[in-house]
Amino acid sequence: MTGGTADRPDASEGWITAVRRLPARTAAHAEFPDGVDARLRQVLRARGIDQPYSHQAIVIEHALAGRHVIVTTPTASGKTLCYNAPVLSTMLRDPSARALYLFPTKALAQDQLAELHVLAERLAEHAGAEIGVFTYDGDTPQDARRAIRGRGHVVLSNPDMLHSGILPHHPRWAKLLENLRYVVIDELHAYRGVFGSHLTNVLRRLRRICAHYGSSPTFICSSATIANPRELAEALVEQPFELVAESGAPRGEKFFIFVNPPVVNRQLGIRRSYLAETRKITAEFLKRRLQAIVFAQSRLTTEILTTYLKDDFAGLPGATEQIRGYRGGYLPLRRREIEKGLREGTVRAVVSTNALELGIDIGALDVCVMAGYPGTIAATWQRAGRAGRRSTRSAAVLVASSAPLDQFVVRHPSYFFDASPERALINPDNLHILVDHVKCAAFELPFTTSEQYGRHQVQDVLAVLEESGFVHRADTSAPDSEGTWVWTSESYPADAVSLRSISSDNFVVVDTTHGADVIGETSFSSGPSTLHEKAIYLVEGQLYQVERLDFEGRKAFVRQIECDYYTDAITYTRVSVLETFEESRTAGGNAAASPAAAAGASHGEVHVASRVVGFKKIKFYTNENVGSGELDLPEQQMHTTAYWLTIPRGVMAALPFAADDRRDGVVGLSFAMRQVAQLLLMCDRSDIGISIGSGEQSAPAPHEEWRLAKGAHPVTLPDEPTIFVYDNYPGGIGFSQPLFGMHEELIDRTSALIARCDCEHGCPACVGPIGDTGPMAKTVAMRILALMGARQAAPAVDAMDRRTLNAAGGGSLVEPPL
Amino acid sequence: MSSLTDRLRGIIAAVPANEGAPSRLRQGSGEAGRSEAEAAGPPDSSFRDDAAEVLGGSWHHAGGRQLLVIDRTYRPGHRHGHLTLVDHVLGDECEWRHVLLGPLSPSNDDSNRSRTLFIDLETSGLAGGAGTSAFLVGCAWFDGCVLRVRQLFMASPTAERVLLDALVELASSARLLVSYNGKSFDLPLIETRFLFNRMEPPFAGVPHLDMLHAARRLWRPIDAADGDTSAEGAEAGAPRRSAEGAEPGPPRRSAEGAEAGCSLGVLERSICGHDREGDVAGFEIPARYFHYVRTGDARPLAAVVEHNRLDLLSLAFLTARAARLVHEGPVAVRTAREAVGLGRLYERAGIVAKARACFARACGLDGSSALPGDKSTLADALRAYAQVCRRERSHADAATAWRRLIALGECPPHVYREAIEALAIHHEHRLREPRVARDFALSSLPLQGTAARQLAIRHRLARLDRKVERDAQNAWLF
Repeated sequence: MTGGTADRPDASEGWITAVRRLPARTAAHAEFPDGVDARLRQVLRARGIDQPYSHQAIVIEHALAGRHVIVTTPTASGKTLCYNAPVLSTMLRDPSARALYLFPTKALAQDQLAELHVLAERLAEHAGAEIGVFTYDGDTPQDARRAIRGRGHVVLSNPDMLHSGILPHHPRWAKLLENLRYVVIDELHAYRGVFGSHLTNVLRRLRRICAHYGSSPTFICSSATIANPRELAEALVEQPFELVAESGAPRGEKFFIFVNPPVVNRQLGIRRSYLAETRKITAEFLKRRLQAIVFAQSRLTTEILTTYLKDDFAGLPGATEQIRGYRGGYLPLRRREIEKGLREGTVRAVVSTNALELGIDIGALDVCVMAGYPGTIAATWQRAGRAGRRSTRSAAVLVASSAPLDQFVVRHPSYFFDASPERALINPDNLHILVDHVKCAAFELPFTTSEQYGRHQVQDVLAVLEESGFVHRADTSAPDSEGTWVWTSESYPADAVSLRSISSDNFVVVDTTHGADVIGETSFSSGPSTLHEKAIYLVEGQLYQVERLDFEGRKAFVRQIECDYYTDAITYTRVSVLETFEESRTAGGNAAASPAAAAGASHGEVHVASRVVGFKKIKFYTNENVGSGELDLPEQQMHTTAYWLTIPRGVMAALPFAADDRRDGVVGLSFAMRQVAQLLLMCDRSDIGISIGSGEQSAPAPHEEWRLAKGAHPVTLPDEPTIFVYDNYPGGIGFSQPLFGMHEELIDRTSALIARCDCEHGCPACVGPIGDTGPMAKTVAMRILALMGARQAAPAVDAMDRRTLNAAGGGSLVEPPL
Repeated sequence: MSSLTDRLRGIIAAVPANEGAPSRLRQGSGEAGRSEAEAAGPPDSSFRDDAAEVLGGSWHHAGGRQLLVIDRTYRPGHRHGHLTLVDHVLGDECEWRHVLLGPLSPSNDDSNRSRTLFIDLETSGLAGGAGTSAFLVGCAWFDGCVLRVRQLFMASPTAERVLLDALVELASSARLLVSYNGKSFDLPLIETRFLFNRMEPPFAGVPHLDMLHAARRLWRPIDAADGDTSAEGAEAGAPRRSAEGAEPGPPRRSAEGAEAGCSLGVLERSICGHDREGDVAGFEIPARYFHYVRTGDARPLAAVVEHNRLDLLSLAFLTARAARLVHEGPVAVRTAREAVGLGRLYERAGIVAKARACFARACGLDGSSALPGDKSTLADALRAYAQVCRRERSHADAATAWRRLIALGECPPHVYREAIEALAIHHEHRLREPRVARDFALSSLPLQGTAARQLAIRHRLARLDRKVERDAQNAWLF
């Protein structure tokens, strides 16, 4: 499959839509910078590292010189040395120096701990240097914490622990904070959206506290490939950064193949199961004795694929198992065993969730097969990087599911190969997030009356906090000193702030099958849609049905069940505009200058009210709709920011279709826009929401409207329907303005997505499944886009694929963005 | 900018400042805090000058910042409840520190350090962490038969360093530190304040007696359900308030009364016989201080300062009472409970003879007049006596106590079982009366117990059956 076809052009209609060859590259070595301690060099040499790669040497030099540095590295290019070398070297010179490593997960911290331990032990043997390395997280026993605070030279933790355990108790950490020389933030790309916005504020607090103790640490960050690594680092740390993006690590030849399972029902747009396809492809590789990693999108699909492959490759009874599954929820011992098996080659294939995407050490494998598009370009490259030895040939295969994003990507390979990867966006000055962290910061160390914090006027924030009694402005009579804002509340503010979810309020899931065991939890905002009565709740492949939702008590009581369907809630959302920040509706609709501008695009602040009104039962594998139900749950409200598109009255009037069909067209258009917006914004599906409304400034939904809303969309459309794409987070998380800026691209790509879809009347890959949106949705949506002046589908596709054609025609080969 | 302020108001007003605190507290803070402040109109700067007058102290200036120092002297004859200052002073430290503090406590032989310093804090909250500070540090020490109290009041939150400097001075003369629950709350919090201000904590190396632990042994009512005051589990239970245990999860915010029957307030009534009038509830204290910080009005703090003084007084008197008990032994005890507690203290310190005398006194086995005490205390005393006798190999005395315990009729099941088993062993192995032993073992059979215990009883019964059989054969033979 990998041989001979490297130069074939992309065929978006075919089974294999793209094959690219990434040529081999030799290693670029450099000398260790002078600042690296000789004892450390000796230890590294003993471990087979005589010379660093060029990018490692540059990062080490920046870090030793005290310059903040971000390194973007492909998988297995030795990023840990980039930060371990300057940190350990500094500690050998100055035993009082300290470092703090932050990882997005506990497992990564544990993985790094092992590596650091080995280096620290060797250094103790060779140089007599005692360098204490500890993890500090929620699992650390109370009695060990004191020792870590006193003796830990390197403390490996996570942002949540820094936020709620270290910073509010900073006096106990004085020794570490006074001597803090380095802060290492690994997997920086993980900190986007809400999590990233929180992290920026946690780091603001950290730097305030460091200033209090007289330290000013150097930040060393590493990130997978994203479009804006330096921008993200500078946004998170709010300091200038050096970027090191050129990898000096060697790489073998690699093929990247896109597979689109063939269509089995053209009318409904149904394709052959992508899981069956993945199984078949993986089996081919395994038959050729190649070691493979298979990435699945969920824990459930991981288990299914593991079972399939085990059936195909059942070894002799009692022989070592060659096919393994790997996901969160497995015990650490089992995980370590699988990782070891992969490194040593006894495990021939592993099927994993994204748990193996981050930097856990499993060595390099021959082949990576992805069952479904991972959601972002960056994550796809990172998973693909799991296959690829330094000297031999490797391959990565992406098998598309029928999800719209997957279909878009495999049919437009140039989008993936040529476009820069996604931008990571954060909005640390979201007022909700900012206020929470200003409280935490005021608790930790009083603000002075001239202090700056973030982009907004923190003094204004403090003044309002004073009105509510959280702080008090105390002015001193001492002539030389300024006033301070004293914390005057008994609360412990960090407890009320969770970095990873919208609020710390949550629903717990109680299994009543045998007694009452808590088996899970869900954030407050997603509680109603996932835990409503009769909902199917999944944990590690086991299905549970919700029997009762105690909304006030925030509990859902579930019972184990055997069934072949899952549920999908129907949420009716009503958005009303509070304030328009920018508007791009041009009076005459000057289509020549700006084709898509005839439609009115805006962004601003909105009020979102949503209510779960019903649910659908969907059969596993076939995704058939096998039933539905009505629900009546409390309304949830928030203020957030949104981008919205208003379809002009004239366009609606010019549509030669019945009212119901016009409605279906707008619904279908919004379905497609959501997919494209998600693609453009590099966000998770849950980060944005979509709603159709009138776009006028109006009062919250009247009761009548709720009652009538049996589905997710209004029954009748206003004269000028508006499609809202809102940030699904109170206060907004910064998606709306960029989306407004990409308005034309959004419209054109939506047009291309719908026009190039093979289905006749709409399918899950474009305007939504036909049963949901009606038979005319696709036609009407296309007509609306044409009337609004979106580029006709053909030229749009042309423009998009020109680079692809050039690439294929010229025989040149595409480099991945590294 | 006003729109920003309005949006901020919308966000901030949604969460009250004392979210997470008990509702009573929130209400309290409202009364003593904002609403009162609003009722009093705009802050009046003249209040601040009055603090010294209102609280009865004097200003100390340092580095442009002020500290209010409140001194009081209690002279011989001063009564605290039914205790008087002449009778209750700390005797020679060597006599009691070993027993109250534990045998392994370090001693400080610096001759400049002569005082036993009592310490108690009033804080801006119980949550712990960098945002909780001590606004009133109360210290007390005996000066011969005179008790001196010095309270350091942080008149402005910006004057913390001045307060800490003053505390360093007081600490420099301390040979022993005495607190109530200070091991988990006061001392860690003080240490945090020093570290926060990048100062050296002053109490390193000074032995610390947390009277809560001794008081639990001496005076905590014995719960019929657990019946064992010496159980270490009681010590490991959730502290009344903790400055360190809070990290990093939600802070422990147990109410003052959680230390059932052993809070300083309860002991002040039961041991000192002192009833406070117009005392301020602990949960109101932070709000009163915040009110002062916002308005400069120190009047609501007068009760807090008095509260702190009374706490110190009670702490000093309780410590003096405990020291006197240790010094004088069983003759000084007033109740059966106190006798058991004192016995436990001696026992822990390895003074077994005195411990045995105390337990004997508690259960009336020493021939002296009976002490007041309830049945669960008596059961506890009998058990403790039996155990110490067994360790001393006074098996007959132990058996007497176990029998009394069974006859008592009211004791926790596990104690009852223990007594029966002890008697079964005693009669089987020492008195060689297998029939009696068998009767005891049989009577323990219906008692609830673990499977292992049930199995052990059956083994014993089988063995005793054989012995009884053999005895019967022997009797027939001879």
